[in-house]
Amino acid sequence: MNGFLRIVASERLKLSKSYIWILLLISPLLSLVIGVFLSLESFGAANRLEEYALLASTMSSFHAMLFLPILTGILSAFVCRYEHAGGGWKQLLTLPVSRVSLYLAKFSVIAILLALTQLLFLVAVIAAAASHGITDGLPWRLLLTSIGSGWLACLPLAALQLFVSISWSSFAAPLVINVMLTIPNMLIVNSDKIGPYYPWAQPMLAMLSFSDQDFGAFALPLETLLITVTGSFTLFLVIGLLYFKRKEI
Amino acid sequence: MNEWIIETKGLSKRYKGRYAVSNLNLKIAKGDIYGFLGPNGAGKTTTIRMLLGLIKPSNGSVHIFGKALNKERLSILRRVGSLVEYPSYYGHLSATDNLEAIRRIIEAPKARIAEVLSIVGLSKEARRPVKGFSLGMKQRLGIASALLGNPELLLLDEPTNGLDPSGILEIRELIKQMPKQHGITVLISSHLLSEVELTAGTVGIIRQGELVFQDTIANLHQQAQGSMSLVVSDPEQAHITLRQHGIEAVHRGNTLLLEQTSDHTVARIVRTLVERKHDIYRVEEKRKTLEELFLQIVGEGTQL
Ligand SMILES: Nc1ncnc2c1ncn2[C@@H]1O[C@H](COP(=O)(O)OP(=O)(O)OP(=O)(O)O)[C@@H](O)[C@H]1O
Ligand SMILES: [Mg+2]
Repeated sequence: MNGFLRIVASERLKLSKSYIWILLLISPLLSLVIGVFLSLESFGAANRLEEYALLASTMSSFHAMLFLPILTGILSAFVCRYEHAGGGWKQLLTLPVSRVSLYLAKFSVIAILLALTQLLFLVAVIAAAASHGITDGLPWRLLLTSIGSGWLACLPLAALQLFVSISWSSFAAPLVINVMLTIPNMLIVNSDKIGPYYPWAQPMLAMLSFSDQDFGAFALPLETLLITVTGSFTLFLVIGLLYFKRKEI
Repeated sequence: MNEWIIETKGLSKRYKGRYAVSNLNLKIAKGDIYGFLGPNGAGKTTTIRMLLGLIKPSNGSVHIFGKALNKERLSILRRVGSLVEYPSYYGHLSATDNLEAIRRIIEAPKARIAEVLSIVGLSKEARRPVKGFSLGMKQRLGIASALLGNPELLLLDEPTNGLDPSGILEIRELIKQMPKQHGITVLISSHLLSEVELTAGTVGIIRQGELVFQDTIANLHQQAQGSMSLVVSDPEQAHITLRQHGIEAVHRGNTLLLEQTSDHTVARIVRTLVERKHDIYRVEEKRKTLEELFLQIVGEGTQL
């Protein structure tokens, strides 16, 4: 545990001198712009709460359908990037740290950065709502659960992408594949057969199942989603760890 | 309990059926500087990677500080500084931050960063991003990283690679000081005997994955003593005469080759032959330089 925290401290230094934080801002900012310019009146919402629900689900689907999965891939590649480029794996693994701690530290950094994005997105939703004059009576519980479960649903994908990024010394290749597999989201989220099992679609399914109760095919039973999320997360993390433990450096 | 800082038994690494390192029995004593020599592709880096646990041996075992590497890797690595192949660095960070990234993991005192930077002569460049460094400067940074944790054992894979002559000299002096001042044991790999000749106490020579020589520099000098060649009028008869006096020689053409080259022996040989009315045309010493001997060991593959 001590080793793990020391590595995280070291990772923080490496990332603090990079421009990674700009990436964290992109999706919340774009969502904010969309939210502010969304014309709520044209949908003929019955009341303020419905207007809010519409706003939140529009922003969420935009954020979670494309940006969140893509960002997850970018962050996974990013935490491996400096090691691949400068021979850092070799150096890190000759320090007194276990491979498991190092792997988990890298994963945690991705998870923390994703959590930051989600928090920024939360701020964006609140700000967009305020711009439409909706300040009171926000369904906080729903909003926070949506943000939180969206984050959780990113973790299997993060574990999968970290595995790919570590095993592949190229920075760009895992990203391209990630983007290619993210794009079909627009179709896959509509399928309640494939959707829950498709790691790239899980963030969106998770976020939308809270933002609006009557969203047709999106509204999946939460348990189903959580079970597949937990299951695939464990699977991908274990595969990655086993691979990394044996990897020749 | 022996005093070997590094001891490997039958250490081997196989890649697709080919042995990159085979049956290596290294023995490195405390406070020694061990020159690990061999030509390109001999298996030096592969061996060092196995010593650090970066790759797993196909066969054999590694003990460092008397502990089994596969059981107590972390407690061993806490006391080891290393530089493997080419130096590792984070290009977007300054030299200081590169060392800080390591320091946070090994928990060395903060002041140590400035210390090691000055040891390798990088104090002035400390604030610059490392991606702008020359190869030699990166190499110096790599050495600084290896020293950061005040290690008891240093494993340096071609540490002077890319350094200018004065840099080579500085590093050589630095390495020489290690055992004297801090009781540190050093393993340093190189292609050139001349590079470690002046610093190392022991050399191990590896060729095609096999350790073909492992002994002190002094004994290597002994091996390099060369031979005497005598050109005489009747080599056949002279050969017999010498054998009768208990002196072994090799008869080749009109020359006799002798292994013993001490003044005393040579005098005795000459006296004996002259007394038996042999004409001696030439007495020559054939002295091999260490480098020649080294090249012979690595080149021809004659096992010493
Ligand atoms: N990952 C690998 N896969 C296959 N063969 C390998 C691998 N790593 C090393 N080898 C082989 O092992 C042998 C030893 O390589 P090694 O890098 O240890 O040599 P070296 O003594 O360090 O050489 P140099 O002086 O060039 O650095 C070489 O023949 C090399 O091709
Ligand atoms: Mg090498």
